Amino acid sequence: MTDIDTLRDTLLARIQTLETPHDILKASEFKALYSVIPTLDPAERGAYGKRINQLKTELEAAASARQEALEDSSVMPLDITAPWQLNSTAPLLLPTEQGTQHPLTRELEEVIDIFTRMGFDAHESRQIDDDWNMFGALNFPEGHPARDGYDTFRTEEGYIPPAHTSTMQNRVLKAGKAKLESGGQIASISYGRVFRNEDVDATHEHTFYQCEGVFVSDDATLGQMLGTLRAFFEEYYGQKLKIKTQPGYFPFVEPGLEFAIEKPAALGGKPGDWLEMLGCGMIHPNVLRAADIDPDKYRGFAWGGGVERLVMLKYGIEDLRHFESGKLTFLRKFL
Amino acid sequence: MIISVNWLKKFTAIDLPIDELATLIGARLVEIEEVIDLGKKYEGVVVARVVECVKLEGSDHLNVAKIDDGGVIDDIERDSNGYVQVVCGAPNVREGLLVAWLPPSSTVPETYADTEPFVLSARKLRGVMSNGMLASAKELDLFDDHDGILEVDQEVVPGARFADVYELNDFLLDIENKSLTHRPDTFGIIGFAREVAAIQGNAFTTPDWLLDTSPNFVEKNGDVTPPMVTIDDPLLSERYQAVVLAGADGSMKSPLEIQTYLSRVGVRPVSAVVDVTNYLMMLTGQPLHAFDYDKLLAVGGGKADIHVRAGRDGETLELLDGRTITLSDNDIVIANADTAIALAGAMGGSSTEIDSTTKNIILESATFNLYNLRNTQMRHGIFSEAITRFTKGQPAALTAPVLASAVRLLAASTGATRVSEVTDTLKTLRNPDPIELTVSQVNAALGSKFSAADIVDTLQHTEFDVTVNEDTHTMNVVPPFWRSDIHIGEDIIEEVGRLNGFDSIEPKLPLRDFTAVSPDAFDKTRAALRRALVRAGANEVLSYSFIHGDILKKAGQNPENSYRITNSISPDLQYYRQTLTPSLLSLVRQNEKNGFDDFALFEMNKTHSKAHGLNDEKVPGEIDFLALTVVRKKASDDAAFYQAKKYLEYLAGSFGLELRYDPVANDVEYPVTAPFEYRRSALVTDVRSGEFIGVVGEYKKSVAKAFKLPVYSAGFEIDPRAILAATAKNGFDYTPISRYPSSERDVCFKVDDAVNYAQIVTSAQQALQNDSSVQYQISPLDLYQAADESTKNITIRIRLTPFTETLTGQQVSEYIDGVIAAVTKETGATVV
Repeated sequence: MTDIDTLRDTLLARIQTLETPHDILKASEFKALYSVIPTLDPAERGAYGKRINQLKTELEAAASARQEALEDSSVMPLDITAPWQLNSTAPLLLPTEQGTQHPLTRELEEVIDIFTRMGFDAHESRQIDDDWNMFGALNFPEGHPARDGYDTFRTEEGYIPPAHTSTMQNRVLKAGKAKLESGGQIASISYGRVFRNEDVDATHEHTFYQCEGVFVSDDATLGQMLGTLRAFFEEYYGQKLKIKTQPGYFPFVEPGLEFAIEKPAALGGKPGDWLEMLGCGMIHPNVLRAADIDPDKYRGFAWGGGVERLVMLKYGIEDLRHFESGKLTFLRKFL
Repeated sequence: MIISVNWLKKFTAIDLPIDELATLIGARLVEIEEVIDLGKKYEGVVVARVVECVKLEGSDHLNVAKIDDGGVIDDIERDSNGYVQVVCGAPNVREGLLVAWLPPSSTVPETYADTEPFVLSARKLRGVMSNGMLASAKELDLFDDHDGILEVDQEVVPGARFADVYELNDFLLDIENKSLTHRPDTFGIIGFAREVAAIQGNAFTTPDWLLDTSPNFVEKNGDVTPPMVTIDDPLLSERYQAVVLAGADGSMKSPLEIQTYLSRVGVRPVSAVVDVTNYLMMLTGQPLHAFDYDKLLAVGGGKADIHVRAGRDGETLELLDGRTITLSDNDIVIANADTAIALAGAMGGSSTEIDSTTKNIILESATFNLYNLRNTQMRHGIFSEAITRFTKGQPAALTAPVLASAVRLLAASTGATRVSEVTDTLKTLRNPDPIELTVSQVNAALGSKFSAADIVDTLQHTEFDVTVNEDTHTMNVVPPFWRSDIHIGEDIIEEVGRLNGFDSIEPKLPLRDFTAVSPDAFDKTRAALRRALVRAGANEVLSYSFIHGDILKKAGQNPENSYRITNSISPDLQYYRQTLTPSLLSLVRQNEKNGFDDFALFEMNKTHSKAHGLNDEKVPGEIDFLALTVVRKKASDDAAFYQAKKYLEYLAGSFGLELRYDPVANDVEYPVTAPFEYRRSALVTDVRSGEFIGVVGEYKKSVAKAFKLPVYSAGFEIDPRAILAATAKNGFDYTPISRYPSSERDVCFKVDDAVNYAQIVTSAQQALQNDSSVQYQISPLDLYQAADESTKNITIRIRLTPFTETLTGQQVSEYIDGVIAAVTKETGATVV
């Protein structure tokens, strides 16, 4: 057994001299250890084999470390201020024809542009938030059953990757309070990434984008909400559209609705085909109160819907999973 | 939840065709996931009478039956009496029995939804012709029954359609439970029917027995001590009622019609006693539970001393389904004396289960804390019809009328008699608070034009109590006891809008002034960055915000600095990413495999590292980054660094920035520099604004190896907000066009290898910048190093543009000599 220990020191020392350190495993002394096995008493073979394996692991680790050190020392510093490599010429950019913008950011820019023109300012939503903004400020008490519908993730510290862009609503309301009280209106959209603990398939993703809108004034009505949403979709699809609603339950609005449009002709829609686009409603008085806005003086409406759906419908994209796949086969279709 | 339209029709008239009904319910109550045409399944099933039944010779269990179908089926072999022969193996087939017959070419209802439904035929069994089959409840897709064929329990003429006899020409509405989380009343047929009446514009009248919140119970006929009930913690249950019944026959079955109604809405018929409790639950939304009274006494040492209490740590309970669960203090249990006998609201215990020998029962009608039950539901995975209803929050007023009705029905159907007083823990019933609002409040919120009469009618249809004060135009609205979801004026406004249809409200646009709204400056910057990189042939990607801990490690980042998701879907999505580069690097290999050899990917997104700490709102700071990685599969002698730098320079040019490249320190590791090889990377700063932009460079060998990157790969990770800040600070730098011609001179400097390009340019600039009458531009022409030389030649072009006069050759040379002197002094260069 002692010969293994002696050999270990010898081999480890030798590694430091090798230019290709992994060759140590081919050393004849090391290989010879294996040939000893059949000569041993069967009862001892197991323990001996284990020792060889330990040594082998140790040598591999040392060889890898040496390899890394060798590679590291072979790294040549560059003149980082030079425009190109010595003896070479200026590098070229890739052909413009192969550059593409992601279809989702492209449509998101379009959505933001329409709402901006309609008088809404725009903010990107947070990607990590607290329970208060995600639920508490939105009239979801602790333990409320409606929280279940959001399938939220949590971090170790108790933060939440927001499951809806409404996580910005309390901030937007608080920021707009002064403007509202000086005779103005709050008109704002929040857009961005949201996260839900869902199994992924062609129509479900744990990561997706939403766009949320808030409007508060001293005379906001549900009719204005329907008008605003219809105006957005008519501008987006460039045609007159029929709309319909159905009651929906969201604790932060009262009344709450689901909003659908008749499928536009541009998307191959026929009369009677409906597309559910978003959830909406009149902002619940408790939500206004949470932002210190007096619900007896001001009313508002809010809505929120997914962005991927708009993009999928527009381009006929068949699988939601493409969006975050980073596959050039998909991305280069959007030239 | 499944709603039977025929069951609804027992409480309100429905004349609309099913598709119109479904549309109306969708628009005014709740989305319907699916409408199931139940009748189709039973189209071929005929009630027939067994007129003769003899054993099939040579078989130990088959019988040959002659059946009378009233002659309703055509094209079938009949005997001289017009009867049809069917072979049947059920033990209960006998002469005189009314049965459900599936004639040839009809489909077995149980297989109706299968991809290949089983269609019957006339065929020989052991040499004897059998026309179709006599069906069991299971084959009729009603419920599992092992007693043999189904026995029709109503006196009908042979030849009647089975579906007509049991009202199976029905439509079932499939509704997602969570869509009605806020409406406990609609989890009972009567409550749902009330809504269906009102959305059609009809008034609804709740049956008297359900309205009576202090009902008379059927007469007591016995003298059993009423059960003692103690709610140990008042937060666990608002009300608990219990009563003892004797002489219930646990082996009795319900009438088949009741069984078919239960089974079509998804409840398995068990026995008359259990079916009554389930039937009332489906009707009213109030779950009931029946305990075997004698078993309950045995558990409690001869007494019924019921406690509603929290579960105890480590306490176990065997449930009806045979599972033994370990309780927590979040569960609510029903205990007799000290022993848990049921998981309240969720499932009974096996120790007090009703079975065929049960004679005496104790009936429970109660409410439980819905938050506790939600916990119980998730922890123990119990999704029974009862807990589904309890977790919506049934009102305490409902327990009494439903209990009274149960006692009445059990007396009628099982012969049970009430032998004890009813124990009730509730002292006084709280009445719903009235809500005041005006007609104009309703219309102002909805943008509608309802009159007072419209509003009153609408609310009265669903049995709200409304009085109008004509002087003040104020309405005083008292919701019925089952509407525990109605608290404020907005709730009433919703009812008015919803029941009349929100779609009847005219869409209008809000008025606004002409003030222009500006796009967000950062959004504009990001859009411009995207456009520039797309022009430069790069492809924008989006990748997940959550990554595997190994990806962080491969990129040289410490997972400890990432926020970790505790309930992640998979280890692949466990950590927030600290920067974007690792995400991009993990996309390179798959794209190469797909045949892309030469590409640049970029992403702009938020990143999260614990290193950023918390912001003013006490939530984690978020940092926006723009990362790009450019790779080429084909090996090259050129350093990929310069390719990435070229991209960065192109971006900088689009924004009018002038970048300075500084060395990266070896010993400081920021998440953003971690993947980069410090000897072949640079920290980048905008010269004019002084804004630090980010890092550009090649990746560490270990990183390249871990992500299987080609040798030619490099990238950058920069802060798009710094670009915005730099552009804002720099403003736009315009100088008028000169009237005088420009001159150019090329100069080649031979310098030591250690001298870098920027030193030459900087010295040249310093020599020129003091003279405001001349503008200069310096650009690289050639960088050359001969083999085995320790010097290199750097050739630059100097362009001079005068503003006050045309420069003579002499003047140009003086400027150039000044440059040469400065460069030579600074770098020890010689001019070649």
